[in-house]
Amino acid sequence: MDGNGRWAARRSLPRTSGHRAAETTVIDVIEAARTAGVKWLSLYAFSTENWQRPGAEVDFLMRLVRRVVRKHAPMLHLRGIRCRFLGVTDPRIPPPLARDFADLMTLTAENRGMTLTVAFDHGGRSDIVAAARSLIRNGVPTEAVDERSFAAHLPFADTPDVDLVIRTSGEQRISNFMLWQVAYAEWIFPPVLWPDFRAAHFLECLHAYQQRDRRFGGVNPNANGERRP
Amino acid sequence: MTDAHSNGPADTGAGHRDRDPGPTAYDEASLFGPGSRFHAFFQDPRWALAMVRATVLEAAHPQVGAALADNSTFVAHPWRRLRNTVVSLQRMFGADADVRRREAARLNRLHARLKGADAHERPYDAMDPGVRAWVVATLFESSVTMCRLGGQPLEQGVMEQLYAEFRAYLAALAGDAGHLPPTVQEFWPYFDRVVEEELENTEAMRIILYRLFDHLPAPPLLHGLPAMWAAGRAVAGPLVGVITVASLPEPFRRRAGLPEMPGAQTLMQSAYLAVGLARFLPDGWLQPEGIARLLALSPGADDPRARTIGALGDRMKRAGALVRLLAPLPPEPEPDPAGDTDARRSAEEFFTAVLDQTGDGYVDWPDLAAMAREVAGRLDLDEPDETRLYDAFAAWWRELQGALDADGDGRVSAREYAEAVPSLAGPALIRVAEVLFDVTDADGDRRVDAEEYRALFRRAFRRDMAGTDGTYSRAAFVRDFLSFMSGRERSTAYDPLFSDA
Repeated sequence: MDGNGRWAARRSLPRTSGHRAAETTVIDVIEAARTAGVKWLSLYAFSTENWQRPGAEVDFLMRLVRRVVRKHAPMLHLRGIRCRFLGVTDPRIPPPLARDFADLMTLTAENRGMTLTVAFDHGGRSDIVAAARSLIRNGVPTEAVDERSFAAHLPFADTPDVDLVIRTSGEQRISNFMLWQVAYAEWIFPPVLWPDFRAAHFLECLHAYQQRDRRFGGVNPNANGERRP
Repeated sequence: MTDAHSNGPADTGAGHRDRDPGPTAYDEASLFGPGSRFHAFFQDPRWALAMVRATVLEAAHPQVGAALADNSTFVAHPWRRLRNTVVSLQRMFGADADVRRREAARLNRLHARLKGADAHERPYDAMDPGVRAWVVATLFESSVTMCRLGGQPLEQGVMEQLYAEFRAYLAALAGDAGHLPPTVQEFWPYFDRVVEEELENTEAMRIILYRLFDHLPAPPLLHGLPAMWAAGRAVAGPLVGVITVASLPEPFRRRAGLPEMPGAQTLMQSAYLAVGLARFLPDGWLQPEGIARLLALSPGADDPRARTIGALGDRMKRAGALVRLLAPLPPEPEPDPAGDTDARRSAEEFFTAVLDQTGDGYVDWPDLAAMAREVAGRLDLDEPDETRLYDAFAAWWRELQGALDADGDGRVSAREYAEAVPSLAGPALIRVAEVLFDVTDADGDRRVDAEEYRALFRRAFRRDMAGTDGTYSRAAFVRDFLSFMSGRERSTAYDPLFSDA
């Protein structure tokens, strides 16, 4: 979800209006993903590093997110989307917002359509640290720790490995996003800014992903010239 | 809100028996049990309205009113109270004569402790035979009126049968029913006379009519939904009040100065009629006992229906979450709800939630007696354990009074309590904990095992509380009780016992 600030700057608008314009994209992408049959969608809304932004912008974001969550909660629930918020540990998050996050998670906990994970106040490294702490707290013996058992201690352990990461606005960095889960992910970097990103762009990315050969470090079993389905 | 706890006389005086020309040997088999008229009524949803009405008539009796105002926990803990009352009525009207005798003895012991004087220094005594007869009379009269208002007056034969059952109920409690006239024909003049001559606009009656339904706390299961509960209550509370007032006998309304609201009569009759239609629901849809138990159930309690309740609880939580998300944003930022989850609560909070059982803003002996009553009821105590328990609570009351009653008015206000909080864990409180342990330890093996624990707390024993042998030791029990009572720590075990509505 990069490019809100640049989007606003190009229009000589305050940065906040870029964030406001992002709301439409978020809803559009959620709907496009759901219709396309995506089962797991994660949005990187706010990183642990974003706290370094100016206080007024952070405050604005918090209010905006709260309004967006409340506005779209019934729609998300009715579409059968299970919503959850990854991170949300910082005490600077306003309690009413945390309450709304918790309420939306409670409300949609039983939904089985698509799982929407909103990474908010998220950092990939801190998730890994959290998993390590959890292992130690549970007294897991050293020899019992392998990749699978480690992953089981990550926040939202049921999240599968990420298949595709789309980073808008042409930025080509990981920026501490779900570090563990993106190990084998395909990456696509469309140049379009997030507020301009629409369902069509999303489907293009999906299409591009379908064309890629995912080998996971092995040899592509379809490399003998057969076309992929 | 039925009120079995103030029902019925224990006619210990011998002088009344000779006045009773009616049947002395009741054919209990036909009057009690599943075939009785009472059981048919008990399943009738209008019974709820009728019981509110009966309770108002009861409370309008100066003696009953004074006893209720002083001792009853129905303002602060109505759901727990409702459950206890329904269970008691079930036992009294059940088919098992032994159960009935035990319950009658228990009620008599309980009522023997309810004595005192009202605000005008007039004495009251819950064992007074006339008073107990009046309570049964209101139950009978309200049942009859319920049918009349619902448009299906009882036939004479049915009414006589029902009356015989209520007389038998009084006799089972008191040993005889001499204070109720022997026949229905003689009953009506008696009822009209009491209504016209004895009933008053008592404080307890006003509390029931105007305060209880406007401030009715949410049943424990719905604690997660305060806004929804308050909204429903704001509509239903005044309605129940208006309906009840309109159904009271006209002479009494006049004497007590109760308002006549335009349309109230029609509203009341429509309400009885509409609620009465619920009787066409399939059998088993309405079970007052089940509903009352459900309302008194704490979330997470150990109950055969725990799974259903859990699922229901999840639904409630989701509904609550949706309501909160849909509610318009308040202009001011919401107060931080984190205070709710503190392990310790403030002195004021503890005072209201736990100590002030009668909800009158003061701690007095009836508050502590209500705690003893709840424990005794849950453990189904017999003598002498019950007296030991009450004595321990009484000693604690003297200790509290001595330590906290700064202005010497005989009771402890929230302020007096808050100012002296640290000095609360005196020897008498420790004694209460020990006696509580002893009476909970039913088999006397100096350990509270899972079953004994369940009897008191109605929930499963958690492993982390148990010692190495899977039981709860005396020391641990006393320590936990003290940290609840004097440390004001929240507790999954004691909170449902003492603070749930």
